[in-house]
Amino acid sequence: MDFELAEFALKKATTLGASYADVRLESTTANGFLLKNGVPQISGFDKISGLGLRLIINGTLGFVSTNELEKNKIKELIERSAKKLNSASKIGENVKLSEETTAVANYEVKQKVKLADISPKEKLDALFDIEKGIVKSGVDVPGRYLSLSDNVTEKYFVNSEGSKIFSKIPRVEYFYFLTIKNGEQTAQRYWQYGKTAGFEALKGWNLPETMTREVKAMQKNLQIGIKPPKGKIDVVAAPQVVGIMVHESGGHPYEADRIYGREAAQAGESFITKDMMGKRIGSDVVNVVDDPTLKNSYGYYLYDEEGVAARRKYMIKEGIMTELMHNRETANVIGLKSNGSARATSYDREAIVRMSNTLMLPGDHTEEELIEDVKLGIYMKNFMEWNIDDKRVHQKYVGAEAYLIKNGRIEGPVSKPILEMSTQMLYKSIDAVGKNSEYHAGSCGKAEPMQAIPVWFGGPSIRIKNVRLGE
Amino acid sequence: MKREIARYLMKEFQKKGADDVVVCLTEDTSSQIKFSNNLISATQDWRADDLSVFASIKKKLVTTSIKDFSKKAADDTIKDLIKFAKSVEPSKEYEGIADGPFKYNSIQDGYDKKIKDMDGGIVDLTRKGINIALENGAKRTAGVTETHINNVFLLTSNGVEAEEKATKVYFSIRSFMDKYASAHYVSNSRMLKDLRLKEAAENSALVAKKAKNPTTCRPGLYDVVFEPLPFANLVEQMGTCSSIFYVEAGLSCLSGKLGTKIADEQVNITDDGTLKGGMNSARFDAEGVPTKVNKVVEDGIFKTYLHNTSTAKRHDTVTTANAGIITPLPYNTVLKKGNYKKEELLQGVKRGLLVTNVWYTRFQNYETGDFSTIPRDAVFLIENGKIKHPVKDLRITENLINVFKNVAAIGNDPWQIRSWDMELPVITPATLVKNVRITKSVE
Repeated sequence: MDFELAEFALKKATTLGASYADVRLESTTANGFLLKNGVPQISGFDKISGLGLRLIINGTLGFVSTNELEKNKIKELIERSAKKLNSASKIGENVKLSEETTAVANYEVKQKVKLADISPKEKLDALFDIEKGIVKSGVDVPGRYLSLSDNVTEKYFVNSEGSKIFSKIPRVEYFYFLTIKNGEQTAQRYWQYGKTAGFEALKGWNLPETMTREVKAMQKNLQIGIKPPKGKIDVVAAPQVVGIMVHESGGHPYEADRIYGREAAQAGESFITKDMMGKRIGSDVVNVVDDPTLKNSYGYYLYDEEGVAARRKYMIKEGIMTELMHNRETANVIGLKSNGSARATSYDREAIVRMSNTLMLPGDHTEEELIEDVKLGIYMKNFMEWNIDDKRVHQKYVGAEAYLIKNGRIEGPVSKPILEMSTQMLYKSIDAVGKNSEYHAGSCGKAEPMQAIPVWFGGPSIRIKNVRLGE
Repeated sequence: MKREIARYLMKEFQKKGADDVVVCLTEDTSSQIKFSNNLISATQDWRADDLSVFASIKKKLVTTSIKDFSKKAADDTIKDLIKFAKSVEPSKEYEGIADGPFKYNSIQDGYDKKIKDMDGGIVDLTRKGINIALENGAKRTAGVTETHINNVFLLTSNGVEAEEKATKVYFSIRSFMDKYASAHYVSNSRMLKDLRLKEAAENSALVAKKAKNPTTCRPGLYDVVFEPLPFANLVEQMGTCSSIFYVEAGLSCLSGKLGTKIADEQVNITDDGTLKGGMNSARFDAEGVPTKVNKVVEDGIFKTYLHNTSTAKRHDTVTTANAGIITPLPYNTVLKKGNYKKEELLQGVKRGLLVTNVWYTRFQNYETGDFSTIPRDAVFLIENGKIKHPVKDLRITENLINVFKNVAAIGNDPWQIRSWDMELPVITPATLVKNVRITKSVE
């Protein structure tokens, strides 16, 4: 990696009048493998290198990126941007950044089993083992889309304030999409696993056994799943469901750039206004955090893309809205320091406010204790369809694997129960939180052009009291 | 130099035993102005060259790309990809790439020097759009203006050598009166003269003004007039569902439906890679086959899946020129326009809704087509053919084939739609759909 190129770009920006500039120089090696219905589709590897630079001229923010890593090409691009910024500043926002501590750091996530030491055959064999597990289950699964990918990103960040941060992060990701058939009926299920780690991550996921269990459960749901109960019931939501709930309604609405309108024409805004911090949103057992520093998490980092040290942020503390997620621009608007929430998917995307690992914190109940106090309800283990409006109020989750709870015991499967409720209703109806935390991976989309960024979402099982299911 | 490296890679891979090779050089220059709160939030400029390689070595399908156009980098890539291929399993269903060479027609209105030379002019275009919206009463605006200049150079081991250049311009504007009254319009074109910036900006403001103080309405069945932006979201789904890869992967509601009625007889959908000014129009597909017009839905009947050479052989048919070597995809999905002005579509509604935008479309089952999507921005209750008042907090919970079977009338003013939430371009007018299921949060 040519660090001198980053320094050159930085110097060029400041020479052209930038009051602030930062550079991300990145190099990623990646591998990908895909099976469709047991047949390898395509396997590949790639090395992606490039430079992204932000600069502020006359108070207006510019971003340039290129994979032509030559000084004259970089110079030309920065000069074009500077000229455009001088014109744009006539109707530009006056972007000011919070004052932050300069950081000099070098960190790496160690791989126990190096991805580079595992041959393509071994990676494809891992997919074939999962395929065999599904086929041997005896369940009719005519649609089997299995994908395994890994990458290692080296990143050098430098800014005009003297920060210099080097990081090396490996990621492993497994994605599956299955169609399970029973007679004429079908059900579908997809999910993703991801970690910052080496190839050892795969063993920990225990995928052949997990896939076998899931397809058998989905088959049973198709065979004997009953209609969901009507009227007011209790819902015990398992970690996969809790994770997506907190991501969508406990994470996204707290992104400060949405609240200030910067994402208005894309992923939308928020029901939250900046003066709502300190107000109650849920019961006092609800605690939702975003934490980039969780070891081996899929959204892991120690310094964000502005060189600010990462830390845990409490969006909801004991039911009270507590903290927004900020970058330096949004923090400055209300006179705060950034809490290190600036991320970008790659060198060719501007850094914006993003989640990392968004979780409900565990309580003190076992999952069994949550269930045994339910007279009539459902246990929703996972989901397929979900969405939420762009202000993050009205959310919907449709169960894929779900069960009836009667008098404190799990009975048979329930078919496609629908939770369709407001954010306020959800969080105030949570009366108990388990201690069985799990973390699940996703690719969260935001911004234009789209940035699908690796995240974890999760938490323990929770009980939602006295709610009606959707129809 | 880059083209020489492309030719070198082709020759060397063939020498080293590759049966099929496809080398594609793309050169991209893009710019964006992002605006929010009526001001420019950021300017963005991208420059990237990419040389991708696909090879089949005894049906072992492998791919990589290079960005360093030196001979050393090319030699390293050849060595690494051959070694990589030795370690993977063959794809028994692969049936090769098209036999060239081919002759190509030009894409009309596909390249505009005014876009290529625009540079700082993109700031003026943005300012113009914002001002039009403000002059028409918008309080707050957000959106983007983008330009793209792109060149593609393609070589295949079956005799194809093809090249084309393209320009694109895109304007997206969401106007707000207050937190709950907003409207979003987009315009996409290959030529600057075809950008409907003024209309998009005006519409966003005028419709937002009508959307103040929305109330709510009961869940149930409604006749819905979809504006082009939301209906494009659903037409795009039909387009991707016609890809044979999606069918085989379980991601399509058109599996097993060739020759059957999947829409009202008024519905005609084509996939048109040759469309004059089409955002995705191209002279050739990823194997170099000249693009064509494919009738996907004709008078409501599903007529064809989208194929590449390999999938077509496997399904005993011919390529539809939609490669993707692995995944065939539509180019421009076009819903044929009807005869109705928008006012006439509204007049056909006794009690219903006018939906101006949707987002977050997600499926419970892609094969059955059960999905939901959320109306956003202005939604209006219609009674006896007239807009009564704005409403909010609704969800469309439906089945994709059901929606198209219930098309009652199609508008006469198609818009070319591609937006941040919708990658593949669609050309569609406003459309009236009967008996659409609307649900809401349960309180």
